Amino acid sequence: MKKLTLAISAIAAAFGAASAQADVSVSGSGSAAYINDASSNAKLNVGQFVSFSMSTTTASGMTISGGMGLSNTITTNAGQAVTGGQTLSFATGGATIVVGDVEAGDTPGSVGGVVGGQVGDNGGFNSKVEDGFADDDGMGLSLATAIGGSSLKIVYVANDSADTLGTINSSTSGHDAVTSASITVPMGMYTVTAGVADSDSGESSSGASVAAALAGGTLTVGYSTQTLVDGTSDASSSDLSTSGDTTVTGATYAMSLDADTSVSVGIQNKKDADNDSTSQFDASVSRALGGGASVFLDIRSLSGDTTTDGSAIAVGTSVSF
Amino acid sequence: MKTLLVFFAFILLQSCSTGPLGGDLQKNLAESDKIYGKCNNPNRSFTYVQKKICEDKVRAAGPDGVVGDPIDLTEIFDRSDDKKIIYTGANSNQFLWNGALETLSKYSLKTVDSQGGFISTDWILEEPNPNQRCLIKINVTSRELISNGVITKIICQKKEADVWYSSNELFLEEEKSLTLKILEKASQLSKVDSLS
Repeated sequence: MKKLTLAISAIAAAFGAASAQADVSVSGSGSAAYINDASSNAKLNVGQFVSFSMSTTTASGMTISGGMGLSNTITTNAGQAVTGGQTLSFATGGATIVVGDVEAGDTPGSVGGVVGGQVGDNGGFNSKVEDGFADDDGMGLSLATAIGGSSLKIVYVANDSADTLGTINSSTSGHDAVTSASITVPMGMYTVTAGVADSDSGESSSGASVAAALAGGTLTVGYSTQTLVDGTSDASSSDLSTSGDTTVTGATYAMSLDADTSVSVGIQNKKDADNDSTSQFDASVSRALGGGASVFLDIRSLSGDTTTDGSAIAVGTSVSF
Repeated sequence: MKTLLVFFAFILLQSCSTGPLGGDLQKNLAESDKIYGKCNNPNRSFTYVQKKICEDKVRAAGPDGVVGDPIDLTEIFDRSDDKKIIYTGANSNQFLWNGALETLSKYSLKTVDSQGGFISTDWILEEPNPNQRCLIKINVTSRELISNGVITKIICQKKEADVWYSSNELFLEEEKSLTLKILEKASQLSKVDSLS
């Protein structure tokens, strides 16, 4: 609809009639699921999300957009919240720049997860393997741009303790800057994505993934290594007993059975600096029912060095409004 | 300060259609969506709510990616007559105007501006080609019934990974045929009018 509005505006402008058209839209979704978690607890889960998007296009063709949202998150009981309003994006044909609360890509090359939040967040798993930076988002800016057929994304978090108002290059302890860069390059039948990230906290990471069309689906394999800091990266979990590298290897395969049915599977192996390791297997099937509704089945199995492992399954429906 | 200067300099440079580094970002994103899925594309940025809605929308759409437009608040609160977008301008020849309306009678119209002589159809989707859509816009530029008093333009888009892009095609012959059809109908209307 936005494009239609823009097209009409452009037509009018071509015939000499001036018109400024802002675009405001709302979209939403909801889901309901039955979950049997890793500890064999039977759960019911409902969540809904509403997103209000606003955009306008300048005379030079730059689209500026923002928005806010309402959520009843699937991870918390009665977890209603107002979110968003923390970024403003500036998009042209050549680049998109986002200013505000941006997230750095701190786990480049980490693939293997294919399930949704009903199992991924509510599955009740507790691994002893630590991965990812302690904090990967905050006040800053990101740039996504094209270089020929390649896409480059650079994220600079100027202060990971602030979201919309904070000091750039703050000297306060814990107010760290995080930088990440990733590039996606098509190479014949393969698509390669490689990235690096670095935090003032001493954490860093690098990794890459390669995707290729195979037997009617898409196979993606990836490798990520993350240098984490004991006491910082695991501040909330205390999973690390020493600083060092966490490695993540994984693969996913996704394909469609017909116009409405998607199937994907994934495996992921992790090992951290104190030699804890896990193996994870994911499977997901979803079928669109038309009218914005779909049903899904998600399964995750986790084994290795864990506090809680086993299998979790979710069956449910999600609706796009 | 240096970061801000670089940032605003980049915005100015990127105001060009492709930016200083070349390439079409939206096209590249559409290509990488096919590989990683739109919601997990590492080159896109989503808020938490946007990502959840994206995931539900992708599931609801299925592999063929067909999903309806979101509700447009601008359209809902549009108080203009029949939700048409009205622009003002010069008067137009009534025979050319009525000929244009008659020629487009089989299509739903998005914009009808009798003052400015401008008509635009809604996007026209044909069942065999759900990934292509076109619209027709006609501008009656003359108060006299003359052969160059009508400008016709056809614009088409194609869909890739649930995103519509301009097809950048020219439809000169089709536009010419449409203009001739309007002139023919205008001529007929003029003759009927002169006989009455």
